[in-house]
Amino acid sequence: MIGASAAPAAAGARLPRDHGLRRVLRAAAGRSYPRIIGQNRERSWLFYDTVLPLLGTIAFVFVYKALGAPDRFIGYVIMGGATTAFWLNVMWNMAAQFYWDKQGGNLELYMVVPCGITPILLGMSLGGFLATLLRAAVIVLLGAWMFDVRFAVSDLGLFLLVFGVAIVALYGLGVTFASLFLLWGREAWHMAELFMEPVFLASGFYFPVRALGFWAAMGTSFIPLTLALDALRQLLFGAAHPALLPVWWEVAALGALAVMFIILARFMLRRMEYLARREGRLSLRF
Amino acid sequence: MATAAASVSRRSGSGPARWWRALRVAYWLGWQIETNWTDPLLFFIYSLAKPLGGVLILVFMYFVVARGGQGPLLGFFVVGTALWPFVLRGMMGTAWGLISDREHWRTLRYIYSAPIPFRAYLIGRSLAQATSAIAPALITLLFGRYVLGVPLHLETIDGWYAAAAMLLGIAGIVALGLAVVSAAMLISGEAWRMPEGVGAALYLVSGAIFPVTTLPGWLHPVAQVFPLTWWLEAMRRGLLGADTVKSFPWAGAGQVLLYQVLVTLSWIVLASLAFGVAERRARQLGILDQESAY
Repeated sequence: MIGASAAPAAAGARLPRDHGLRRVLRAAAGRSYPRIIGQNRERSWLFYDTVLPLLGTIAFVFVYKALGAPDRFIGYVIMGGATTAFWLNVMWNMAAQFYWDKQGGNLELYMVVPCGITPILLGMSLGGFLATLLRAAVIVLLGAWMFDVRFAVSDLGLFLLVFGVAIVALYGLGVTFASLFLLWGREAWHMAELFMEPVFLASGFYFPVRALGFWAAMGTSFIPLTLALDALRQLLFGAAHPALLPVWWEVAALGALAVMFIILARFMLRRMEYLARREGRLSLRF
Repeated sequence: MATAAASVSRRSGSGPARWWRALRVAYWLGWQIETNWTDPLLFFIYSLAKPLGGVLILVFMYFVVARGGQGPLLGFFVVGTALWPFVLRGMMGTAWGLISDREHWRTLRYIYSAPIPFRAYLIGRSLAQATSAIAPALITLLFGRYVLGVPLHLETIDGWYAAAAMLLGIAGIVALGLAVVSAAMLISGEAWRMPEGVGAALYLVSGAIFPVTTLPGWLHPVAQVFPLTWWLEAMRRGLLGADTVKSFPWAGAGQVLLYQVLVTLSWIVLASLAFGVAERRARQLGILDQESAY
């Protein structure tokens, strides 16, 4: 008996124990693995993640066709469809993820692992982003092919910079929401639903956000996608696009949002975890 | 014991009475599940935010292109967006009801083995979901009338026509819901996403936010197969009058209602058959209460 119990203990002692940044990176890579590799093994998810935003996108393209709008509006809608994939990922697979984890019994495990919860969220973000990037690319390619839309980027470097900063800000917002959702039970599902159409409207997913009016659009700019979409459209459609702000101002604002959401996410995560523990909601399934 | 059993047997009734009681109780249960997750104010905001957000997206798309002008397409958008929550909640909600009973609450096996007609239970859940779409629909229509100036005037609304179309529409939505539930009974892994996929496809082909005439010609017959297309067309004619933008310009108002009756009845029969087949198959395979550990 003694020999039998000593063997696993010895094996455990041989396990590499990383510390510091190395542990954070390994934990993040571990959590991102199921999102990058595992998700693609479930073919039906791949199908639904791509086809659902594409169907919505096509419906809005036909709205512009019914209105007799110029071709660039179809480009707006296709970009909006690709952005929808990111927003869906942030709301359902970042913000509401702890709700699913609570249902599946994983949340308690996350709370007791030695790396802490931050690398878990980092891995979720990284994996979610890479998986969604693939889906968004498919939506853009299929949409452009189906409706014969051509995108000409005027400054590729700036385009990638806007995209990169916006993604950091967006996933920072996702982590902030995740901490809020930690407290919720059944509400989580409905709240994620609530943040769909109103956000599509406020961020101008399917029309130039300037149409909301300058100050209304500025008010909705705390959602990183508002400024990101406007800047990307300026780089794609040039002077034909009614810009909200100059591109570099939008890059700077997105950078500020990214920093703000990362700090806020860290603060909220600690605060909400404390509240969830105190009120006994961490493992409350229903 | 024998007396008690006889009493229970008498109380359980038979046929329509049992159906009605199961439907009523399922409706109450569905309403509680749908609404009691929060306080009434937040539920009201939640109910309104999605459809109003949806209609405002279309309104801004419209104004960006039309540059402030008004036209009949605005009315088309408002009626379509106001009515779509009935589809979302009535059809997709029924499927999600079954899936959540199976996977989330894990009560399906107990409900199924209870002495109640299972179809009455599902239809009751579906009607509860559809009821929660009434307030957003009314407020979206009022918003269209008073804020956007859509011609929804009492004197031009054909009340009887619209009411008949609405009742038939709900029957069509329930039939579609049963058809989707039939598919959901036989699948597990992707069951959560399947109703959403069906809803998105119907949103595209049924003339919800643009006339069917805008679709490529090969999709026109597909659009005509679904009761939703005829329901939305009939509701627009009943609420907006003859000047509305039409998905079927070749059909008169009477024809549209007649087609709606025929297509809806066909779907009721088809959905009923599909449900029976799916239910038997799921029991044979032993997957009726199979959880996919989502």
